[in-house]
Order: sequence, then C-alpha cells, then structure tokens
Amino acid sequence: MDVDLRPVKKLRESAAARSALGPIIEAVCASPADLARLRVVCDWIQYKQNFREPVVARPIGTTDTEIAVDLRRSTDIDLEAEIKHALEDPAGVALEPWVPGRDSCIWRFNALYWQALSEWEQATGRQYEQSLPGGESDARNTEAARELILELFRIWDELDARRALPDELYILELGVGNGSQARTWLDEFVQLDRRHGRDYYRRLRYLMGDYSPHVLERARQAVAHHAERISALVVDATRPGITLGFLAGKAFLVYISNVYDNLPTDELACIHGRTYLVQTQAFLTDEDADLIAGQFGLDRSAVSKLIDRLLRIGPELLSESAPGQFPAPKSAVSFWRAAWDALRLRERYVPLEGLDSYQLTPDLTGEILHSLIEADGDVRMHVSNGALSSLTGTLPLLHPFGRVQCHDLFLTGSQQYRTGFYGPGKYDGSVVNWVNGPLLQLVASRRGFGVQFAPFRQRPGSNITTLTAQARD
Amino acid sequence: MEPLLPTTVVGSYSVPEWLERLKTEYYQRRISAQHLADIHEVAIKAAVKDQELAGIDIVSDGELRRDNDVDYFLARIPGVHIPQRAKTDYFDYYDAEVTRPLPDSPDTTLELANDFKFTRQLTQRPVKFSFTGPFSLSRRIRDGAYDRPGDLVRALARRLNAEAGLLAAAGADFLQIDEPFLAGYPEHVELAVEAVNIVTENIDVTWALHVCYGNRYARPSWEGHYDFLFPAVKAARVDQVVLEFARKGLDDLRLIRQHGWDRRLGFGVIDVKTTQVETPELVAERIRRALEYLPADRLMINPDCGLRHLPPEVARRKLRAMVAGVAAVRAELTGGDKP
Repeated sequence: MDVDLRPVKKLRESAAARSALGPIIEAVCASPADLARLRVVCDWIQYKQNFREPVVARPIGTTDTEIAVDLRRSTDIDLEAEIKHALEDPAGVALEPWVPGRDSCIWRFNALYWQALSEWEQATGRQYEQSLPGGESDARNTEAARELILELFRIWDELDARRALPDELYILELGVGNGSQARTWLDEFVQLDRRHGRDYYRRLRYLMGDYSPHVLERARQAVAHHAERISALVVDATRPGITLGFLAGKAFLVYISNVYDNLPTDELACIHGRTYLVQTQAFLTDEDADLIAGQFGLDRSAVSKLIDRLLRIGPELLSESAPGQFPAPKSAVSFWRAAWDALRLRERYVPLEGLDSYQLTPDLTGEILHSLIEADGDVRMHVSNGALSSLTGTLPLLHPFGRVQCHDLFLTGSQQYRTGFYGPGKYDGSVVNWVNGPLLQLVASRRGFGVQFAPFRQRPGSNITTLTAQARD
Repeated sequence: MEPLLPTTVVGSYSVPEWLERLKTEYYQRRISAQHLADIHEVAIKAAVKDQELAGIDIVSDGELRRDNDVDYFLARIPGVHIPQRAKTDYFDYYDAEVTRPLPDSPDTTLELANDFKFTRQLTQRPVKFSFTGPFSLSRRIRDGAYDRPGDLVRALARRLNAEAGLLAAAGADFLQIDEPFLAGYPEHVELAVEAVNIVTENIDVTWALHVCYGNRYARPSWEGHYDFLFPAVKAARVDQVVLEFARKGLDDLRLIRQHGWDRRLGFGVIDVKTTQVETPELVAERIRRALEYLPADRLMINPDCGLRHLPPEVARRKLRAMVAGVAAVRAELTGGDKP
C-alpha cells in the first residue's frame, strides 16, 4: 500500500489534519480492500464549494484502487464508514457516462452560467465579480494599464521611425467581464496619448471578444464613450482564430484576465511510471437527487433528464417548456442552482497506450508532455486543454512585436502538483481550475514564444499570476 | 538548358515531426552523431526526390542537416565560442560569443562542400546551395573581440568566402546567401551589402541573395517593406535577389522598376507561413503581375522562404501548385499547350 501524503501547508497549520492521519490508516486497514493494490492519497481541498466527497475511491485500470481523503473534512466524519462506502459499487444518479474531464457536463453548467449570467445574478442577488477572490476584478488597475500603454508607445515609436507602423493598431481583450478593464485601459490611453502627442488613439482598434453576448453587451455599454474605437465580437476563447483570423500578425496586445482557469481541462496522471487519463462522471448522490425531486415536485427519475434539458435550453426556455414544474424562470434558476450545488464528480484512471495517442488539442498530441511527466515521477496534472487551445490560437494573432498578457491562476512549476490541490472547484456558478503554466510555457516555446510568469504586482498577496508571452530570438 | 521561369526552392525543406524529435534526442545526448548523420542522409534523399517529383527545376538538400539557420554555421566556425552545446530543443539558438578576433587562416572548414557533394550525386538536376550570410550570423554572436562595429561581420564574411571557394571547387555553381535578420536592422543594409561582396569576391558562380522578414517558427520576425533594401542592394555583387511576395503582397514589385534593378529576381509566389495551399491559378496570377515589371528571362520562381515549418504533405502540394502555375504561364508565353 502506498500512502501519498501531500505536503500541503495545512499539515503544519492544522492539528486536526495531522490527527486524522492515524485514523485514516486504521480505517483503510479495516476495509475489505486488497491493501497490496491500494494507494491512499491525503490532500486538502481548499475550495469550500467543490465536486468531491470527503472520501472517494478511484479505480486505477482494472486492478488497483486509489482512496483519496480530503484532510480538511476528515475530522468530523466516520472514516471507516466513509471508506467502506466509497469502495462499494457507485450509487447515485449519474448525469453522464464516463468521459475525459474536458467533456464533463460541468463545462455545460459553466457555459450556461456565462450565457444566463443575468438570471443567475438576479437569483443570487450579487454580481459575479463579487464572487471573485477579493470581491473584485483586477481589471480596474490603472497602474497596470499605464505600464502596458507606455510600453506600446515605445514600440510604436520605434516602428514608426522605420516606417513599419501599421495604420491600424489592434488591441484584443479576450473575456471582457463587465467592461471595466476596457474602460480603465482606454481612458488611460486617451490621457497618455494626449501627453505623448502622436495621436495613436485615432489609429487604435480595441476589439472586445467574449463567449457571452450578454457579457459583451454589458461591457460595450461601459465603454460607450469610446464607441468609434471599439468592436465587440462573440469569440470562443478556445478557438480565437475562427472569429479573429483577420487579425493574424496584427495584434500588439492580447489581454486576457481570468479566462483560462474557466476553460475545460483533462487531467493526466502518472502512477508507478504508467500514464493514465482521468475520466470523470458527474452525478448526484441519492440523498441530493431525492431532495431536489422533492423540492420541485419531480419524480426522481426525471431529475437527470431535466438537468440535461436545462443545460441545452437554459432556465427561461425550461420554464416555458415545463410550466408545471417551473412556473416562472426564477424557479428554473432555483433548480439550476440546486443541481449545481449538489453536483459531484467520481473519477477513474484509464491507462493511455502512449502519449501520442492522446490529443491535447486538435493540433497537438500528448508527445509534448513527455518531458513534464518524465521529470516529476508520479504526478497528477491538469492538461489545461482549453487554455492551451486558446493560447496557441492567440499567438498567431500577434504582431512580431506584440505580446499576450494574461492574469490568471497559474501554476508556475510542475512540482506544485505534488504539494497541493488546484481544482476543479466551484466559483459561484462557474468551474475553476488552476492552469498548468509549465505546459503552456513549453508549448509556446515550441512555437517561438517566450513565456514569463510574475506575481500580479498591483495586488500583493493575490493568487493571480501574470503570464506574458512574446516572440523570442 | 534552363527553362523559361525556372522553378527552385529557397533552401530548407519540410522537417517532419519525427525528424525534429530525433534531432532533439541528439542534442540531449540520447542518440549518437553518427546515427543522426545517417538519419539526415536518408531525409535528404527523400527531400530531393520530393522536389524532383514535384517538378522543381533547381533543387536543394533541404538544409535538413541544420538545426537552425544560424547554429549549424556558428558551431563550425573556428573562434566562435559556444559554452553550452546541449539543447532542450534542437531548434533553439545557442548562446555564442567571440572573445578574440576570428583566425584568418583556420585549419578547419565548415565542411559545406561535403554537404554539397552529397546532394550533387543524388540528382541530375541543377542544385542550389544556400548558407546564412555574415550579417545574420553576427546577430547571434556576443561580440567581445572587435572594437569597430562591423568588423565581426567582415570577419565572418571572409570565413564564408573561403567556404564558398571550397564549394565552387566541389562543383557548386549556384550559391545563395540568406540574410533573414537584415529586415530587422534596415539601418545596417550598407554593411550587410559590403559583407555580401566579401563573401562573393572572386568566386565565379551564380550568386543569389535572399532577404526575407524571418521565418522562425513560421512567423515573420519583422514587418515592413523592402524599401530599406534599395538602392543599397544594387551595389551587391550578386546575380539575383530572392524576395518574398506571396505573404506580403505584390506592392514591393514597384521597387524593382523604381530603382532599376537590372538583374534577376527570385520571385516568392508561395506563402510558407500558412498551411493553406495556393492554387496553380493564384501562382500564375502572381507571376503575370511580376511580368509587368520584369521580362520572363529575369524571373526565377520560388516560395517566399524555406519550407521547413510546413508539414511534408503541405510542402509537396505547395511545390506542385507552384510548378503547375509556372507551367500555365510558360505555355502562355511560348504558345505551348497549357498543362
């Protein structure tokens, strides 16, 4: 039996966590599992809203099993009973078949959140920005905007001196939030440009791209006073080239804030030198399914079908199509929130027959993961498929002197995967995963871009890291 | 006899993913130099065959031995110091430096003549052999040896001149100097031309000078126009300039007329930075536009730059499209049958 005790910070800080270790081992030994084919992982799930039970069992291939215990929640439970329960055949109401993490319906929930954000906000009584860590976006930081703008002026002056400055100066923002970043940035630009005296503002084209028309419209209103410089486009962040192909080689700055952590991802694991894909299955526990059924006057067997319909048509149309159960959109939103709160993921490890048999993105095979996986021995890591697809789709948009600047939750070293838990978690109605920074760095490097990570300087102590990608050599 | 509108390549040929991986294995000391050399020979044979099958008139070795456009040369030039020769990826650039002037009469060569001879015996077709020019090489060297700016460039040019002599002695009759970095330093064009003239001095072959906007990772390193190249390039003792037009558009053709360029133009008709394959009709249309500025006997037709970043099948299809487009225009010019 392997015991993988993650060296999380809380082990030092929480006596309760430490005191749980003995009982965990005792409970495992008391279980009917074959200890020779068992590994135990003790980690710490910092997200209060997440997809895990305190104790879960994950099949490894067809012979072995991993038991994972969340130390944060391990002290107030009957460990022996929970482990026994986890090892039993899975119960509950499955919402989907076993799928790779990126194909899970949790991403359909996530997409619905952004599409029907206003309904969600009305129901919760608070705007999404309030659910961000710190209660606000980092987008309003004028100091950060000023630094970027002055650097752009320097580049543009140089290009202008060589008669190599294009007539139109493109800036792209992917994931526009409520428009406060764009407003801050453009207002600052006007002031600095006036002082600089080159009238770059007249040549500026500020493109706002977002998945959600609702979010886009709200952002557009926030920058209405810059209307002549602004274009708003519905963009799938994971495939920016589809909408923005015309921008290839032209963007001087692509600004992305808090998008990548919210894009679909798989996880891969290396256990005893063998590589596995983590497959997931979303489900509701029997108790939660019964609770939801009772709350909305449903037959329990109808719950999963109604969730699927909700994810396809959204709360408003769900209310229209099933007025008996959901007399108003508000009640459909309540159903949505209840399902989201109750949503759990079970997991299993499926062996990969060679990394090249795994596609990270449509254009990229798992071959590139060799160095990351080989470097760190046993590890489980996000593949950040959505973020990778987004970044590799964004880099070709850059002017040779352009850059991507991205504020997000990045791991900056693969070793971090051995010491902590980095998602998935729930932020309000959306999914959050930390992004595999070293992998993005490696993939960008093979495309000729250097990627640097730095703490977000304008808000010390924040978990946010700034990624900057620029052509190298 | 050379056909009208002869077709050729700029130099590099598609590097398949498997070859990239093997090259990296070599730089991480996982396979031997001999194994890699054997692999390169097989790959070069295939590249030459691909070009022949596509109908290219003047072929190259595809530069498949080279890790990138700079290091293959720097690693062989006596006096250039490279402290760390292992690489994370084969295509990365070395950090190189010179701490004292390059020796004028070194005992060793860059062995480019051997590379040429290998290719020469593979094909009956004319062979173009290209190497990176002194200005671009100098941009990747930390110069701690020379007091006057430009002296390192001149020293490298002398080294390349000696190498060109060996290439000519080995039978090479069409050599090309590549200056992929020049567009980023337009203020140095006179120096670059001076260095080109040192390289070509007393070497009696057909000389081409290729200037592009960079092709590292299939991306331009710079943007702009070829204005900076003229009129300085007229002082270069070369027989043709090889320029990119497919990606950038044909506007710069005006410079040929405006500055009275009276030699040949290697006319780029294939965009090597996109996997989208041009149609023969588009290629033909581009050539017809060029014919408004130059007579057919002063045009040579080639891709914008090397094909190294294109997948093999795309590279083959692009070359076939180029050849078909040229055939259509040839037929129009000579009254022959259209293909």
